[in-house]
Amino acid sequence: MKKKNNAEVESISVGENAIANRETEGLTQGQIIRRRFMQHKPAVAGLIFMIAFTIFMYSASGIHLGDEKNPINYQGWWPYTITQITAANGAGNPTWAHPLGLDRLHIDYFALVSRGAEISLMVMVIIGGLGGLLGTIMGAVSGFFGGWIDAVLMRFTDFIITIPAILIGAVIGFRVGNLGVFALAIFLGLFSWTGLARLVRGEFLTLREREFVDAARVAGASNIRIIFKHILPNAIGVIIVSVTLLLAGSILTETGLSYLGFGVQAPDVSLGTLINAYQAAFNNSPWLFWWPGVTIILIALSINFIGDGLRDAFDPRQKIRIKRRQLKLESAKTRPGK
Amino acid sequence: MEAYAGDPLQGLAESTAPNKAKLIAMLTQQLQLDVPPPARYFLWLRGVLGVFTGHLDLGVTRQSRSVLDEIAVAIPTTVKLLTVSTVLAIVLGITIGVISAIRQYSRLDYTMTFTVFLLFSLPIFWVAVLLKQFLALKFNDYLQDPRMDYLSIVIISAIIGVVLSGFISGSRRRVWITWGSSFLATAGLLIYIDKTRWVLNPGLGFIVIGLCGVGLAFGFTYIFAGMQNRKALYAGLTSALLSVVMYFPFQAMVGANANFILLIAVAILMLSVSYFVGYFFTEIDRGPVIQVSMLTAFLTSLLTVIDRIMQTWHKYLTDPAVDGRPVQTISPLNSLLKTNDFWMVTLDGAVHVALPTIALTLVAFSGYVRYARGSLLEVLNMDYIRTARAKGLAEREVILRHALRNAMIPLTTLIAFDIAGILGGAIITENVFGWHGMGSLFNIAIQTQDLKLLMGTFAITAFLAVMATLAADIIYSALDPRIRIGKK
Repeated sequence: MKKKNNAEVESISVGENAIANRETEGLTQGQIIRRRFMQHKPAVAGLIFMIAFTIFMYSASGIHLGDEKNPINYQGWWPYTITQITAANGAGNPTWAHPLGLDRLHIDYFALVSRGAEISLMVMVIIGGLGGLLGTIMGAVSGFFGGWIDAVLMRFTDFIITIPAILIGAVIGFRVGNLGVFALAIFLGLFSWTGLARLVRGEFLTLREREFVDAARVAGASNIRIIFKHILPNAIGVIIVSVTLLLAGSILTETGLSYLGFGVQAPDVSLGTLINAYQAAFNNSPWLFWWPGVTIILIALSINFIGDGLRDAFDPRQKIRIKRRQLKLESAKTRPGK
Repeated sequence: MEAYAGDPLQGLAESTAPNKAKLIAMLTQQLQLDVPPPARYFLWLRGVLGVFTGHLDLGVTRQSRSVLDEIAVAIPTTVKLLTVSTVLAIVLGITIGVISAIRQYSRLDYTMTFTVFLLFSLPIFWVAVLLKQFLALKFNDYLQDPRMDYLSIVIISAIIGVVLSGFISGSRRRVWITWGSSFLATAGLLIYIDKTRWVLNPGLGFIVIGLCGVGLAFGFTYIFAGMQNRKALYAGLTSALLSVVMYFPFQAMVGANANFILLIAVAILMLSVSYFVGYFFTEIDRGPVIQVSMLTAFLTSLLTVIDRIMQTWHKYLTDPAVDGRPVQTISPLNSLLKTNDFWMVTLDGAVHVALPTIALTLVAFSGYVRYARGSLLEVLNMDYIRTARAKGLAEREVILRHALRNAMIPLTTLIAFDIAGILGGAIITENVFGWHGMGSLFNIAIQTQDLKLLMGTFAITAFLAVMATLAADIIYSALDPRIRIGKK
């Protein structure tokens, strides 16, 4: 183990503080966070990738909304659709016209994968949004009011935690019929707020004892105002980080459910159903197996990186990464002249 | 929930069998469908509450089999599937997480962080198929003709060199030296394995086991006590020696009719012997000495057992039921294998469980690395760590005794839940690898709308989850005296 002498250690720690202070001097909290996030290279890469990927995938098939009378159609730039059987011959190997190949029915595989990715992204956003909203509200109410409200809400949370996602998928599938991906996503979202609620509750439990909450109360602020204006902004870091991780988890949940046959149903495609359908096709047409998996990994990986970057940015205790050269310069400056 | 999971009569209502009405009536009576759902729930609950009077009754499945029996069959399978992977994930994950935290912002840390994120984002069903394809089929192909070309030897050695040198801190020169020596060692080993056809008839022999034992003794002394603690080193070496001496009586003692109870007895014997070795070697600060002694003895004995299993490999490989393609992708055991040999059965179980274990470990491991790293980093920033360092304790003492113990507290919750989760089964993994454990039971229950089966598996899992929470709370308060259950 390398031993540093005391003077050197001291001057380094002074250097660290000086750099840390200079980096945050004269900036608002938001600016500090944004700057810290921007310093996290993988997170920025993940963010850029996610934006580009979303636009790429959604623009490929275009937008098709509205009912049969008033359809809103914007043709995407990709010429094939998930129902169109192409006239290509052969085993469906990837070619220039079909870069990801064709599936068994000679449907363009890029169209299928991009449709699956679209669905996964949509489900992800709905679960994340709904779960985030419900979790925040539940946790905030439970942590702020405490007492019997807290007890009831937390027992309710414990109850929801025990219900596995697969059961929800099955119940929706059998009872509601195939309402499509949208209903599935909403129901999954209704059951995915539990972890966040616990976190937010813990955060509120400590924050409500702080002086600024007392000050607000003395000044006559209402409960609602204290929750939303005073406590919530202080807990926003935890919430954002947790929601990002919820997003990354929910894409795995959705594809896992679809893989087992409980998620996205037949006419629609999901990355999970694609993998399930073609896992046996590995030897003959490996591209049918690789692409959906790679897509899932890319989405989940970049979201995880974004989450990591956000956590680093929001955590004030996090030691900032200081380049060794910069530190040397700094300690040379502060070291007493020899 | 019960009533909403689908209409069990639906299948019959759509059927065209001539005795339709009669079948419906029968099924109605069997499933007590004439009773409204809430009342049916209480009927079921009465059976469950029978657990207090000794008559646990979870009802019958759609196939008129007792739910309890189905679960009793499924649980051993699931335990077999998940135990090894959970233990591996916990041990490996915490170890790597701790190393990663100590070397924060090093090459190793960055590599591990990236790997962990990658593993975190992997869908397990996808990994499982990849493992089946590459590990199982390719390895079986390789066994047909066990020859390696030099290029793959070089590549494998280079990769292992990179991994090993990643654990070393220090100057660039030191890293390269580590890389070079591990490269040469691995390449030499691989060439030896290749030339002697070791993979077809493997074994370690007591010399290799002895060397490993000595190496383990030195390694554990370095980690837990420090090289200047001679007592620990001697205790470790004595334990290693004892374990190697045990090699011959062990080989003679365990024949084809060995069983797990015998193995566990031997393990307990070795552990208690090594405990006393550690105890008698020193009088002050016994903890680390005993740790070194016990770990060395345990792992060396484990190597002896592995050696015994390896000796069975050739016999297993040439068995007509296996036909030289040992690694299996589905089901927990080879039903064609007709043998009563304990070692054959164990080996058969091991090759079947290998793939799912790897898949599950990969996925579960990443969580532990993340949590262990985060929690240790948090603890290392505390004031008492600064105090410990300031009073001149060695870095080893600071990390092992002051930081690690406190960092483990949040991890106990995770561990407790994962251990309870062992019995819950792994739905997706069991599905991919064709195992019939709790997970697949649950899956079947949902797919066939078998309410009694669903409620039965659900009740067991929920009960275990509650127990796990309770256990976690109790361990929590034992580890951290500041936490008092039931007081604000």
